[in-house]
Amino acid sequence: MTHRHKLWAAFVLLACLHALVFFAGFFAPYDFATQNRDLTFAPPTRIHFVDAQGRFHARPFVYGLRNDPASAGYSVDQTRVYPIRFFSRGSTYRFGRVFPSGLHPFGVDDPGRLFLMGSDAFGRDQFSRFLYGGRISLMAGWIAAALSLLIGMIVGTLAGFYGGWIDHILMRGGELFLALPWLYLLFAVRAALPLHIAEWQVFLLLVAVMGLVGWARPARLIRGVVLSAKERNFVLAARGFGASDMHVICRHVLPQTWGVVLTQMTLLIPQYVLAEVTLSFLGLGASEPIPSWGTLLAALQQYYVLSSFWWMFLPAILLLPVFLLYYAAADALQERLASVPL
Amino acid sequence: MKYFAQRVIHATALLLAISFFSFALVELAPGDYFDSMRLNPEISQQAVAGMRSQYGLDQPLLIRYERWLAALLHGQLGVSLASRGPVGPVLRLRARNTLLLSGTATLFAWLLALPIGIWSATKRNGWADRFWGLATSALLTVPDLVVFLGLLLVAVRTGWFPTGGMRTEATGGLGYWSDAKDFARHLILPALAVALVSVPILIRHIRAAMIEALESPFLRAARGHGIANSRLLFRYALPAASNPLISLLGFSVATMLSASALAEIVLGWPGLGPLLVESILSKDVYLVVAIVMLSSVFLVAGNLLADLLLFASDPRIRME
Amino acid sequence: MLYKSSWCGEGPLRHRSNQYPELDCAAPLVRIERLSKQYVQRGALTRSKVTVQALDQATLTIRRGTTLALVGESGSGKSTLARCLALLEKPSAGAIWFAGDNLTEMNSKNLLPFHRRIQLIFQDPTSALNPRLSAAEIVMEPLAIQGEGTKLWRRRRALEMMEAVGLPARWEHKRPLEFSGGQRQRIAIARALALEPELLILDEALSSLDLANQEMLLQLLADLQAAHTLTYLHISHDLRLVAQCADEVAVMNQRTIVEQQSALELFARPRHRYTQELLEAMPSLESICLERSA
Repeated sequence: MTHRHKLWAAFVLLACLHALVFFAGFFAPYDFATQNRDLTFAPPTRIHFVDAQGRFHARPFVYGLRNDPASAGYSVDQTRVYPIRFFSRGSTYRFGRVFPSGLHPFGVDDPGRLFLMGSDAFGRDQFSRFLYGGRISLMAGWIAAALSLLIGMIVGTLAGFYGGWIDHILMRGGELFLALPWLYLLFAVRAALPLHIAEWQVFLLLVAVMGLVGWARPARLIRGVVLSAKERNFVLAARGFGASDMHVICRHVLPQTWGVVLTQMTLLIPQYVLAEVTLSFLGLGASEPIPSWGTLLAALQQYYVLSSFWWMFLPAILLLPVFLLYYAAADALQERLASVPL
Repeated sequence: MKYFAQRVIHATALLLAISFFSFALVELAPGDYFDSMRLNPEISQQAVAGMRSQYGLDQPLLIRYERWLAALLHGQLGVSLASRGPVGPVLRLRARNTLLLSGTATLFAWLLALPIGIWSATKRNGWADRFWGLATSALLTVPDLVVFLGLLLVAVRTGWFPTGGMRTEATGGLGYWSDAKDFARHLILPALAVALVSVPILIRHIRAAMIEALESPFLRAARGHGIANSRLLFRYALPAASNPLISLLGFSVATMLSASALAEIVLGWPGLGPLLVESILSKDVYLVVAIVMLSSVFLVAGNLLADLLLFASDPRIRME
Repeated sequence: MLYKSSWCGEGPLRHRSNQYPELDCAAPLVRIERLSKQYVQRGALTRSKVTVQALDQATLTIRRGTTLALVGESGSGKSTLARCLALLEKPSAGAIWFAGDNLTEMNSKNLLPFHRRIQLIFQDPTSALNPRLSAAEIVMEPLAIQGEGTKLWRRRRALEMMEAVGLPARWEHKRPLEFSGGQRQRIAIARALALEPELLILDEALSSLDLANQEMLLQLLADLQAAHTLTYLHISHDLRLVAQCADEVAVMNQRTIVEQQSALELFARPRHRYTQELLEAMPSLESICLERSA
């Protein structure tokens, strides 16, 4: 596979992932906050094609669950059969924040439940929470990465282009940010914000602050590119026409940085997603009722969850392909950019 | 010596700036430690105000910073609001634990990464190299948090490792050797965890450094002289590759600190990480600042150490 | 339009006829008086400052419509002089007079119109053109910088200039990498001419080209000079090239101008010792063959 194919494959898959998460309202069979107190810690619902009598059904179905005191869990109740309906009506959500809709790609009628990834301590569907949680985590990653890059671009360009004391001050400032281990820095910055963030707007504030923290490394890289770009003869030629600094920067210097900016973007996003997940995991990020991948993982800190309910580990495992896709995209992008002659 | 003095001055200036930065940062947070007390109807406002001024929390930022700095020069790090005692002892204990963890993890990581990196470099593009390349890529993709949770899962399900704490309470006092064994059993899991997340990058760097050394002209000349391969590897290539590796050692302190903080929290090792989270949650101002400062002291010290080692080992740097 | 014939021939010495003696009495277009330039370099690790003298009291004049060649060995300060004249560097001391205005005493806002009238062509055309832009965009850029006309008009003008230097207009979308070295230099010339400058500085502009391309470009430059009354400052270390196209020659040695004369005079009766050495070091084809066969 050429790097071009790899790049396209990675981007297409990433786009699918983001579509799933973005349209979580549609894809998730249940809302992220709907509790089922009688179905706490239910295992993933088994999907059947063949019923108890041995008959094959073209439409898959699930059985109801009832409490089984003997095994301290649930046992299947074969008398209650719920066929899976496609494009069914389920919990309502707002499409694009405006149009309310109840359409979902699949679901089962009440009181049956289709828990693709099991349920948690409050009986909430983990699969739905995973999709909704992805919204928060991925969005946090994107916004923070974009912010870091923006600041890094501005600082790096100023420092590289003007040099002298501006460069000195800006780079020393960057050193300050780099002199703390990133997790400690994140915590320190987090400490500066109000503790309990229930509204998602305030959560965005948290994300913005995260982004403010990581500008130093991109700034350094961009500064390097700017330093070499500004010495090129075509920049000198533009000055010979009386070009202003702004013209030179926008027309000649900045385009040279796109390569670095793009690769940094693909590397920073997973880092920031992970930062958000870590913060939420520790209770320092998104808090109830907002789901985030971190809060999904937080349940794993309890001994009994780890030892008895294996499906609660699924969100952790599902994180792997997400990061894999991002890193693959970053690699493919780097290869592609390296092969473009400049 | 001048080289050195410059570095130390620079490091001190940096630490000073960080101290102010972290102090100001924590100050920015709305509310303070006594918030929960204010909500308690049994405690009067005057009592709260009194406690605040007792801890000097009603002074403006700069004065507090000055006082803190002055106290620092006397060796005092401030007072922990939660434990009502000086920050020093609390910090010392936890810092010792974190250093123990990081140190052991570094040892494990390098013990694992060096042989693999060197082997991969010598058998370049062979099946071993490809296998390890794939393995490191796979391990790199897994986020630290997931690695730690995975190890926790393993520990819980198999019961091979104790989860949490530094020693089992019940067995304390059974004798030095069994104490030590118990301690080691508790240390292994977190150390392994932190080592695991650092190993892939280490392997990559070691492999790259070794390949560069192995392909350098002077080594090819030595090979042409008929010197045996093993001697070539250890007496020629490895010393040549040591320059970047030593700086790697110094700079890996940073990533090690971050990784161990998270590992401590997830796996229950009583180090600086959990303490930091607790103190943030309770807004224990001086403790937070002290921990952040300490972590950057470690990092800067690590970089200084790397510089020192480089200076000592690489004559080219001494010449400049 | 003034017409001036160019000549090409064979052999090292050329005869350049001056058909416009009245220009001798006219005030020179460019007068450089005691120009000096120093660079301060900091040692990388030692933090000591080293002052490099790049130009030391250089004085020369250029008359309108003529070609002045500036010769000298590497490091003699030719490029620095060119850059100071092209307003890319600020000289440390001395004055530059252009058509009666003192450029060294102006601030950057007042200097803007002079950027149109003086243009510089670099030695390496590849680095002088932004590889990401198309040929038309490159030629349009100076017009955009100086705020001339609309985008449409600029494009038309750019295509005109391309045609004027011998590049077909249909190549407007090609990137510099798709052109040969000689063609890239033509693009650079087209770009320089877009603003209708009066003075064109060619900083070793033909040195990186092969002889065939050199000949073609010399012809092009001569035609343009004739068509638009351009003044050239031709910097070169190649005396053969100088002999082919220069009206006057200035010799640089040790960062200052040691001699300036009409080309004929210089080649026939060099006054300064350095010039004599320079001329002696340049053998003709016949003498080389004679030496080798001996």
